[in-house]
Amino acid sequence: MTAVLEVDHVTVAFGGVNALDDVELAVGEAEIHGVIGPNGAGKTTLLNVICGLAKCSSGQVRLMGTDITGRKPSDIARQGLGRTFQTSQLFQGMTVLENLVCGLHRRTKAGLLAAAFRTAAARLEEERTIEAARKALEFVGMEQFRDRPATMLSFGQQRVVEIARTLMAEPAIVLLDEPAVGLSLNRIAELDLLLRRIRDERGVTLVMIEHVIRLVMGVCDQVTVLSGGVRIAQGTPDAVRDDPDVITAYLGKELHARSDRA
Amino acid sequence: MFSAVLATLPPWLVGRRTLGYAALVAMIVLPLTANPYWLFVGNTLLIYVILATGLNLLVGFAGQLAFANAAMFGIGAYGTGLTQVDFGFPFFLAAPCGTVLAVGFGTILAFPALRLSGLYLGLATLAFAQIAQWVFMHWETVTFGAGGFKVPPVSFAPLPISDAKGLYYLTLLIAVVVVLLAANIVRSRIGRAFVAIRDGAVAAESIGIDLLRYKALAFGLSGLTAGIAGALYSGLLNFVAPESFDLFQMMMQKAMIVVGGLGSIAGSVIGATLLTLVLEALRGVKSWQEIAFGALLLGFVILVPNGLADFLRRHVPGWREPLIHPAFSGDIDATTTEPVPAPALPQIGAIGAEAITPAAPLLEGAARQ
Amino acid sequence: MLAYLILSGITTGALYALIALGITILYKAAGTVNFAHGELFMMGGFLAYTFVTMLGMPYLLGLALAIAGAFVFGMVTDRIAFRPLIGSRALGVVLATVGFAFILRGAARILWGGKGDYLALPPLFAPDPIIWGPLIILPQQLVVIGGTAIVLTLFAAFFRLTRLGKMMQATADNAKAARLVGIRIEHIYTLSFGIGAAVAAVSAVLMAPLTLLYTDMGFALFVKGFAAAALGGLKSLPGAVIGGLLVGLIESLAAGYIASSFLDISAFVVIMVVLVFCPSGLLGGPAARRV
Repeated sequence: MTAVLEVDHVTVAFGGVNALDDVELAVGEAEIHGVIGPNGAGKTTLLNVICGLAKCSSGQVRLMGTDITGRKPSDIARQGLGRTFQTSQLFQGMTVLENLVCGLHRRTKAGLLAAAFRTAAARLEEERTIEAARKALEFVGMEQFRDRPATMLSFGQQRVVEIARTLMAEPAIVLLDEPAVGLSLNRIAELDLLLRRIRDERGVTLVMIEHVIRLVMGVCDQVTVLSGGVRIAQGTPDAVRDDPDVITAYLGKELHARSDRA
Repeated sequence: MFSAVLATLPPWLVGRRTLGYAALVAMIVLPLTANPYWLFVGNTLLIYVILATGLNLLVGFAGQLAFANAAMFGIGAYGTGLTQVDFGFPFFLAAPCGTVLAVGFGTILAFPALRLSGLYLGLATLAFAQIAQWVFMHWETVTFGAGGFKVPPVSFAPLPISDAKGLYYLTLLIAVVVVLLAANIVRSRIGRAFVAIRDGAVAAESIGIDLLRYKALAFGLSGLTAGIAGALYSGLLNFVAPESFDLFQMMMQKAMIVVGGLGSIAGSVIGATLLTLVLEALRGVKSWQEIAFGALLLGFVILVPNGLADFLRRHVPGWREPLIHPAFSGDIDATTTEPVPAPALPQIGAIGAEAITPAAPLLEGAARQ
Repeated sequence: MLAYLILSGITTGALYALIALGITILYKAAGTVNFAHGELFMMGGFLAYTFVTMLGMPYLLGLALAIAGAFVFGMVTDRIAFRPLIGSRALGVVLATVGFAFILRGAARILWGGKGDYLALPPLFAPDPIIWGPLIILPQQLVVIGGTAIVLTLFAAFFRLTRLGKMMQATADNAKAARLVGIRIEHIYTLSFGIGAAVAAVSAVLMAPLTLLYTDMGFALFVKGFAAAALGGLKSLPGAVIGGLLVGLIESLAAGYIASSFLDISAFVVIMVVLVFCPSGLLGGPAARRV
């Protein structure tokens, strides 16, 4: 089975410090892959390197076999990668529907002249895009928010719309940066369901940074643990939870000794 | 109360489109009834409509903090005037030359725009504007220096129309075309790409929007309109001089789009119209012009940040705007994780006067760019 | 010739350094640039003219009042063009301060006469030049350089040693945290605007005897000062001074060796070139947004 995403010995050096040190990762098709670790472990840096917002000093990133190291974020997006961010990045000047329609940007092609003169082709494309956006809203269960300005959604709702937006262009893989932060327990359960449906019904691979361990343990197929820029564990959620290095990284050495006895 | 009265009128009567048609009819009829002075004012107004529309695309929709608009206007005027005077081109050949020149410079500015954050982009475009002004003033062998130079009037020879009226109708035609095309553009994926870049350039990139391409497009379009406007302006005044393209001009154009509504094509038209009339009312008294325009700019930014178009959208039942445009509330300080509370929404009807309350709660800290 | 150009360059450079200092102080504290800064500079100069020449006050008292007046105008700028906009985009503050700048400019034009009227402010010491080797130095030039050095030292001390200075630094670093420890950040912002304007006024009163006062002087100087501050990275006080001196020297040398009319734009050409190749300024730049 070819990996959808391969991170091959990636190092990111900042002055004397390595934000990422020789990190390796392979994510398969229709897999939900969690990335966890204490603060400052380099998780967001890893995501930034994958999607092109940060450069690595050495190593390679491959998306479905193609080398995407160091390419522009918009290029990588066009190769089939989507991403959400820690803070809501919905476009505030648009409604929910318009935001989703934007998500299809890289699959549409109306150029300046077609747009300016509203050619039949442009109008047709516009209708199709709006239809696709409506379907995406149905998929995430938010049709009733269609014409609501993006600014008038709650935090959790914005999250869901953002995820829906990344799904519009039918990416192979979506990177999620702390999708559950600030969500109540109910919302986290809903998010859990949504992520599963994305994996099962759409076959999309998900790579997810998360601190909410409940969600990671519940929904992830594989988990990678980073600490201080280094990968210290990788495997199924259960295997990782019991890994002594992981416990040490989160709780410190003395507590590790205590949990050993427990 | 105002909205209550308007709500009793049928929507088609007071909608944006109706007002647009009414304005168009008024402008077509104007030369038949007006004296030369009002013809001149009307012509000036149309030129500013063209300018404001393009500028709004760049500043209001794409959110680029660019101060080169007056310089582009000047480049269009100088390009047109100089090709006429130096090479003897007729106006209809010189105008495209001036326009192309302005588009060229405008597009070049997109490259620094790609790498510079907002404030630095402002600085770079300000520096560019100062350089342009200096070139107009000091490169006397080419631009005739501070005194400016005369340009032959635009002739519409075979047509049975006077020069002044001919230029007016030409300007009107161009203005209508520019406004319509711009309105189409903002409702298309290009307009959405502009707003995406304004509201979240990082996210825009992550969904595949090529920043350089769309910034270049925004700069190019505003250069195009400024160039055309400059060409027409040189024809209107029959005279080109540096003082027409100074900082005050730059600020005045900005005031037009702020008053009219950043992120609204209708707003560009409204703002240009209103402020041209203010300019004429205060003609000759530079200090009062400065105070008036400065106060309008400042006042609207503080009190009516989304401009008159937004005010109309909220209170006039038939008024639809393609993209909701809280042009100033986009950039939230990234260090907060406070959840946005879900406000209670009024019923959204099919023809809705949607009362949009101000966006996110005021967040601590100053705007960072 | 070179020595003269360098002296002249350092003198105007000191002037730009002070303007850049005012811009940087405000940027550090409030994260924004005051586009009315040049007009505040201009007002400082004209206030000095009013107090000293029109009202006949003692020189130093007049200067002090002018600086205080500019301080007040700076605070007004904050209250009407910045505080209502806290939390929104930089574009809003920029446009608001630009609008305010033109209000000030128009008002100055009405109060002190129109374009083309150039007003003179007498220098601090008698205008007899000092001859030093091949150089002819005007005492006022020394006053400018000395004044800049004094202001810079005062501010370094202020930020490092006084409680208020530390509060400003805290606000600049992390406004939210500063508020949580009880610092009234709105007051800090108002103060910063005032201080920025006062520094601009110091620059104006030092410079006015050498050049002349006219109502349109503000914006061009603002752009140069902004350019100087940008060269220094916008967040560094010493950087602003270095930037200012650099701009002054480049101008002077360009005017001397290329053409005298190049004086006006050499700074702008340089800043455009620098920004194109080093988008974050020579010594660092505005904070990047974290997402």
